[in-house]
Amino acid sequence: MRYALSDPAHLSGAHAAAVKPYDEMMDPTGEVRPHYAALARRVASLADEDLAERQRLLERFFLLQGITFTVYGAESSTERIIPTDLLPRIIPATEWATIEAGLTQRLRALNMFLADIYSDQKILMDGVVPRELVLGAPSYRREMQNLFVPHQAYANVCGSDLIRKPDGGFAVLEDNLRVPSGVSYMLANREAAKRTFPGSFRKAGVRRIEEYPDLLLSTLRSMAADWRPNPQVVVLTPGVYNSAYFEHAYLARLMGVPLVEGRDLVTHDNMVYMRTTTGLRRVDVIYRRVDDDFVDPLTFRRDSSLGVAGLFNAYRAGNVVICNAPGTGVADDKAVYAYVPEIISYYLGQDAILPNIETYLCREPSQLSHVLANLDSLVVKAVGASGGYGMLVGPHATQAEREAFADALRANPENYIAQPTIQLSTAPCLIDGAIDPRHVDLRPFILSADKIRVTPGALTRVALRKGSLVVNSSQGGGSKDTGVLGEGDSQEARP
Amino acid sequence: MMLARVADSLYWIGRYVERAEHMCRLADVLLNATLDRTESSGQVADMVISAITDGHNDAPLSPWDAALAITMDSENGDSVTAALARARENARQVRDQLTTETWERLNLIYLRVTGEAAARDFSDAPSQFLHDIIADLHLFKGAADATMSHGEGWGFLQLGVFIERAQLIGKLLQAGFGRSLGRPVTEHAAMTALLRMSCALEPYLRKHTADIQPSLIRQFLMFDEDFPRSLRFSTARIEEHLSSVGRNVDLGGGAGPERLAGRLKARLLYADPEALGGEESDNLVATVLEECARLHAGIYDTFVAYSLEMRLPA
Repeated sequence: MRYALSDPAHLSGAHAAAVKPYDEMMDPTGEVRPHYAALARRVASLADEDLAERQRLLERFFLLQGITFTVYGAESSTERIIPTDLLPRIIPATEWATIEAGLTQRLRALNMFLADIYSDQKILMDGVVPRELVLGAPSYRREMQNLFVPHQAYANVCGSDLIRKPDGGFAVLEDNLRVPSGVSYMLANREAAKRTFPGSFRKAGVRRIEEYPDLLLSTLRSMAADWRPNPQVVVLTPGVYNSAYFEHAYLARLMGVPLVEGRDLVTHDNMVYMRTTTGLRRVDVIYRRVDDDFVDPLTFRRDSSLGVAGLFNAYRAGNVVICNAPGTGVADDKAVYAYVPEIISYYLGQDAILPNIETYLCREPSQLSHVLANLDSLVVKAVGASGGYGMLVGPHATQAEREAFADALRANPENYIAQPTIQLSTAPCLIDGAIDPRHVDLRPFILSADKIRVTPGALTRVALRKGSLVVNSSQGGGSKDTGVLGEGDSQEARP
Repeated sequence: MMLARVADSLYWIGRYVERAEHMCRLADVLLNATLDRTESSGQVADMVISAITDGHNDAPLSPWDAALAITMDSENGDSVTAALARARENARQVRDQLTTETWERLNLIYLRVTGEAAARDFSDAPSQFLHDIIADLHLFKGAADATMSHGEGWGFLQLGVFIERAQLIGKLLQAGFGRSLGRPVTEHAAMTALLRMSCALEPYLRKHTADIQPSLIRQFLMFDEDFPRSLRFSTARIEEHLSSVGRNVDLGGGAGPERLAGRLKARLLYADPEALGGEESDNLVATVLEECARLHAGIYDTFVAYSLEMRLPA
């Protein structure tokens, strides 16, 4: 197998030498890491045509399943599959143990943080997190104040984005506590990988992720009130035109619960019902895949037609549970992110197991001037934006782009944070028939209700453009299967 | 228990799939008729065109153009491609209710008929193209039958299939034998074409041998007990599926669509085919079409768009 480590030549000057990305498969001397050895051998034994054939098989699987998004053209619309890479990514058991412990600790602390700021606000009184940062965040929901949330589990489903730094350690790039998506791709990638590399899963000792829908259902059911013996769970989707619709239908199907739209639900006497063929039927738990703003036009955005009028009052009355709770976004706000290590030590008295990326808050004048002076080496992000929009990757930007961003920064510093440009780790990918390194991140999924569970697998997102560090699917990103090896199994997994 | 919106979508999947299959057969027979220039081929073309236009054929189409329009015209909501696109769109909205096997079949047909190669495939070998779609639709129906639970959702899917089928065969009978539309078929080739369009040629031959007569054809398509496309068979299935999906709805004493379905079934079950004259047959076909339209509206009002005040919990 021909595979050369990536050359960070696209970086400007002084930074290039300092940051050689970590490669998931090869160590810096060009040796294949032990947990990748079997995969490397298997791939080396396949001819180029075999690889191409398997790639076609993979793409056909996604097309047939309807795992597509629609590109709307002037005359007609076509459906495309999300680019998916053939070669799985492998994570050894010891590394996963750290990730699992770190994510569990982090979500526990963030749920405690949410429970606190929506009740007594001790952490604000103690001055650990600046009051105006929390209460002024657009994702803070005053309506959630003093509202009872079972198990104090505000974020039942969390998808945190991790990256691997050049030194090999994992760090959290951002948390995602609102309506994290991508879990269906994790599951579909695995299903496809089992078809394309059928030998791989027999002996590999890759841990199973297929229980995710069952665990999600039991998480959601445990949020229902104790006196409702057989709680009715539903998945609330914005509808078929939403880009994540496949995922909504996929989860509903695998959990065996109805997939509802806002127009299927009605509230009456602070209870929520769905319209069935035989009349109205009570709903207990709503796994909503609709943003806070659109959940209830009476409480949040008035012009929303995706939600259910009166839903929030029913929630407040304790007759229905909304998962994730509205207002969880304040804990994954890009500025609050900078304080997560302090939040962990405040509530748990522990050091963070998974570190943050160093973050400059442009709201602080001293940090702003540092950011402005080093725009060519930093990544600057708008606090409210997501999906890879509204951000500047300093080393890749032109002088003009940097100047335009500097003006925006000076005009509205509270709206921005900056982080050093991290060389995400690279993993081997099949690109145009050749195996080439591409930058990847890692999004594991964490469930939380009466207990916290991390699914032993993840969505690995891939920046398919050479040298690109942006993995978002809206910006030319793809994904690949991610296998976590089991404890005690041979690290020499047979792929 | 099933969401009202979902039941509606399943019903429409049934209708569109049935329509697509029927239109494929019509297009195929039309294309066949263009092969020989005889009096009877003209009759066939007239009959098909009047069946699909309800007799309002303002701008006369050549048989080839008509076949192309029935198959590929995306403007025409009844065309094969449009019906399949709508069936698939409905399936996407209720993706969680269909088994993966069923969904994959429908998605596959959709991807083929809307793909870039579709127009070329059709003009290269139209019969093969249409034949493949029909075969794939049978796979879809088979996958649904073999993998879906035969519960409420299945009932709505089947209701769509059989209401659509009864209407399509009814229209074909009107086009072939109706006194108000054009001239009734008499030519041997036109009569076999009519049987082909109803997918009835082989079952008919088995029952009546090669003795092909208009009155026997009419009897067969209306009253045969076992042929799955006869009006009698379709209306019996409508009644059956409607009473099973309606089991849990309190309709207030047998009112609503169930009564309509029962009455319609009885009309065809207890009619005396031998004694029925041409005009009475025409009237019965017209009644079937009217009653199917009322059933369609009744199903929507009863199961999908019912008034909330009537169903609020006490």
